[in-house]
Amino acid sequence: MDDITPEHLLYGSILLYLAAAFAAILFSRSHKLCTIWSQVLCIAGAAAGTASSVALLFSGQESITISPFEASIPYLSISMTLDHLSALFLLILSILTFCVSIYSIGYLSHYHGKRNIGLFQFLYASFILSMILVFTANHAIFFFMAWEIMAVVSYFLVVFESEKEETRKAGLIYVVMTHLGSAFLLMAIMLMFYYTNSFALTPVSLDQIPESGRNIMFLLFLVGFATKAGVIPLHIWLPYAHPAAPGNVSSLMSGIMIKTAVYGLLRFVFFYLGVSSPWWGVLILLLGVISAVLGVLYAYIEQNMKKLLAYSSIENMGIIFIGLGVGFLALTQEKQTVAALALTAALLHCFNHTLFKGGLFLSVGSVHYATHTKNMEELGGLIKKMPVTAVFFLCCSLSIAAVVPFNGFIGEWLTYQSIFASIASGNAAMNITLILSAAALALTGALAAACFIKLFGISFLGLPRSEQAAQAKEVPFSMNLGTGVLATLCLLAGLFPQTMIALIDRAVVSVVKASAEPILRGSFLDLYRPINFSALLPEVSFSGSMTAKPAGIIAAPLVAAIAMILLVLAALLVLRLFGGAYRERRYGTWDCGFKELNPRMQYTGTAFSKPIKIVFKIFFRTSKDLKRSGDDFYHPKAMEYTIVNESPFEKYFYIPLLAWITNWSRRLKFMIQTGSVHTYLLYIFVAVLVLMLYNRMV
Amino acid sequence: MSFFTADLISGLISNFIQFLLILLLAPLSGGIIKKVKALSQKRKGAPVLQMYFDLWKLIRKESVVSDTASWIFKATPYIVFAATAAAAFMVPVTTLVPSAISGDLLLLIYLLALGRFFMCLSALDTGSTFGGMGASREAMISALIEPSLLVSIFTVGLISGTTAVDQMMNTMKAVGVPLLHPVYILCFFAMIIIILAETSRIPVDDPATHLELTMVHEAMILEYSGRQLALMEYSAAIKQLIFLTLLVNLFLPTDQLVSLAGISGAGAAIPAVVIAAALALYILKIILASLVIAITEISTVKFRFFSIPNLAALSFILAFLGFLQYFVLGR
Repeated sequence: MDDITPEHLLYGSILLYLAAAFAAILFSRSHKLCTIWSQVLCIAGAAAGTASSVALLFSGQESITISPFEASIPYLSISMTLDHLSALFLLILSILTFCVSIYSIGYLSHYHGKRNIGLFQFLYASFILSMILVFTANHAIFFFMAWEIMAVVSYFLVVFESEKEETRKAGLIYVVMTHLGSAFLLMAIMLMFYYTNSFALTPVSLDQIPESGRNIMFLLFLVGFATKAGVIPLHIWLPYAHPAAPGNVSSLMSGIMIKTAVYGLLRFVFFYLGVSSPWWGVLILLLGVISAVLGVLYAYIEQNMKKLLAYSSIENMGIIFIGLGVGFLALTQEKQTVAALALTAALLHCFNHTLFKGGLFLSVGSVHYATHTKNMEELGGLIKKMPVTAVFFLCCSLSIAAVVPFNGFIGEWLTYQSIFASIASGNAAMNITLILSAAALALTGALAAACFIKLFGISFLGLPRSEQAAQAKEVPFSMNLGTGVLATLCLLAGLFPQTMIALIDRAVVSVVKASAEPILRGSFLDLYRPINFSALLPEVSFSGSMTAKPAGIIAAPLVAAIAMILLVLAALLVLRLFGGAYRERRYGTWDCGFKELNPRMQYTGTAFSKPIKIVFKIFFRTSKDLKRSGDDFYHPKAMEYTIVNESPFEKYFYIPLLAWITNWSRRLKFMIQTGSVHTYLLYIFVAVLVLMLYNRMV
Repeated sequence: MSFFTADLISGLISNFIQFLLILLLAPLSGGIIKKVKALSQKRKGAPVLQMYFDLWKLIRKESVVSDTASWIFKATPYIVFAATAAAAFMVPVTTLVPSAISGDLLLLIYLLALGRFFMCLSALDTGSTFGGMGASREAMISALIEPSLLVSIFTVGLISGTTAVDQMMNTMKAVGVPLLHPVYILCFFAMIIIILAETSRIPVDDPATHLELTMVHEAMILEYSGRQLALMEYSAAIKQLIFLTLLVNLFLPTDQLVSLAGISGAGAAIPAVVIAAALALYILKIILASLVIAITEISTVKFRFFSIPNLAALSFILAFLGFLQYFVLGR
């Protein structure tokens, strides 16, 4: 058994996914068999992938390379390198795939007999495979090919329920936006070759590419990857595509596909281009702040559960980008430790987001499976009908709301600490930007909590607001198992963040050549030494007099969790001792004197988010319409109230842009494309002439 | 078990005593505020210790639980209490005794957020209109006040280079009188607004009414009764005392005064008298802070709900200016 190396496991993982894809086609006649075979192979592939990445991260090896075959095309090399950064992302991907595949066994049963499961499974396995290729490609063209496969396959998965008009529209927006991003990437990759004559993804030295070339390449990479990440203002595809896709696919898309952008930025900007101008970092930070704040605001006013989660993904990508931006800024000031801290925060949040958002999308898939609606205004009281789903949903919601002791908190705490460390050691001008980003992050965090109070509270608590919700039944075991594993991981990762940090640290070291672990060893991630930046950061100078402290217990989330359990027990004991036995009477909720409480008296999701909507009305283009029927103004027979929340980005940017392009294309049609053969001949002649002249001059 | 040294054990014991002190004093500050308010209205008012009597009575009463409610409703009081009390563990009452528990201020905030999360959920759990209203408003207020809270924490934390509560308090002692320092006076006033918002006081929320137009916190716990209500009320009191303690120990440090009066030799055991004096000063400061809050409540009216953003913005500006001052004036 000692012969199994990470290489073998990686090969095994890829082959298992390939087998899953072929099994899907092979068994496509029997939907049940097809689902089980294909998903079990995917689960095995995920397990192999997890093993491979963990083995590499702990082996001490720098990287492994596998080249299955030589490409016969010049300038292309099909070889995969798994270094620490790739391994981390492969690990995230594999964990998520593992859970989503378990979940899918149950989830797909409601498609059986109705749809082409074979095709779905084939696409599903290829989608995962394409992401593995994205994470491991060590050659820019190969990376781009994998990137495109991922884009196209995910498009097919998004439009799987293609009979719905809105799904087709979502698919169109998605495919256009994602290819727009790809176009930018392609340009950047072409520039890469122009300057260096190579597509290899090894760091370039500063003199190989001139300053202007670097800046242009950075912008191209940023636009390309930010489109995939769904960073505002390039986000418009995300709130359409995620709700349209089946539950397990949106979980994969939001959980890991958008993270390929983070990987891309790290690989192509931090690793390949290197760090030069500080404004790159400011730009990344700014994009992050905008996405975080606006993303959570749009999520908060959303009533469609999946759309809410999609906007929340935008918000979380924003938080990750804040971490990346802070890290970049620290690197430009040569504060490696602070940069390592910030990148650890970003990558940890990446990891955490995969766990809880994957779990949330799966849970919402379960709710949809049970009630056939994604609109939270039609739900309510599900905690009694689907108790297990409710618990897992709550765990994931608590994680994303960053409350102690779940994992979301650790990521946000580290982001705050990295900003704090940057401020403590930075210059004044940058500090204003940084403190404002910290404030924005605080606003985001509190709004995210509010957002998930709303999502869970409205859809799972109270009285059912519709017949479907009242009739809902708990979902099959495999679905709960998939979600449950993710929810448990969320809690464990929150209680024992040291393990996650140890994994992430290796990836961070490979990018910034510094480790944040020594600092964190002193923080509450470790159990017994207080965090103190003044002693830990050589770059930071403090004039505050600090005395060495004796070893004490630092209130880590684990300690806090244990303390809370003890406190609950203490409270129970005290109440039993002094208050006697617990007596309880069940009675109706106070109904304000009406006959009885009915679901329509409850707060709705719309009402819940109304205050924030009023306070931040500048960011929403809301149009209201109230229709009354009947003659009497005061006693109308019926009233109809419609609210339309439009995205300002679409209204003021994308739609005008589209109109402008269409308009100009139409005009050009008459100017250039006249239909006369003579004109076309002239074009050819002019083109040939210009090319010849250009060749002469060069 | 070399980890559990004698120092650590004695530190833990002193921490536990401070924790018990906070738990014990928590209902007092609310009583003082109520008494002062009553006196200002020429009423006699309830005794200062009224809340102790209330709690004593409530825990012996039968609980009424809504038919609609799920386990969330019943679990919430315990979770809120545990989260708030765990937060109280991290707040040293006095810095004279080295603290064995070093809590991060951000962790404290997020522990309180756990309590708030469940409180809002329990409000929605009964299906009552009031609950939804309260939860929605609470969500907005807490979101708006958060940026200012964070900027204040960062500004105060900058001097000590950490966000650990006890170390921040320790370094603030070195500042001398922080309220005479332009950085900290701004943060102090920002903090007062934050406390008014976080602990549901006038002008943000009115703790004394049961009117749907005005209430926020009360609306959320409207359906609670018996021992569950007792726990919710008690947790609110603890939370208030945590914030007041942070305020007075960060911005009005007095421990250096007593240690000057007492034996100042390093490493020498601190006499019990000095500690007693420090505690007395602490209680005095809490009474003072309660008076400040009472006077604020007397002299203002509750703001219209949509004026609260202005208040939050004011608090943010104060904290932000404090932060800028820090770099203008140097450390």
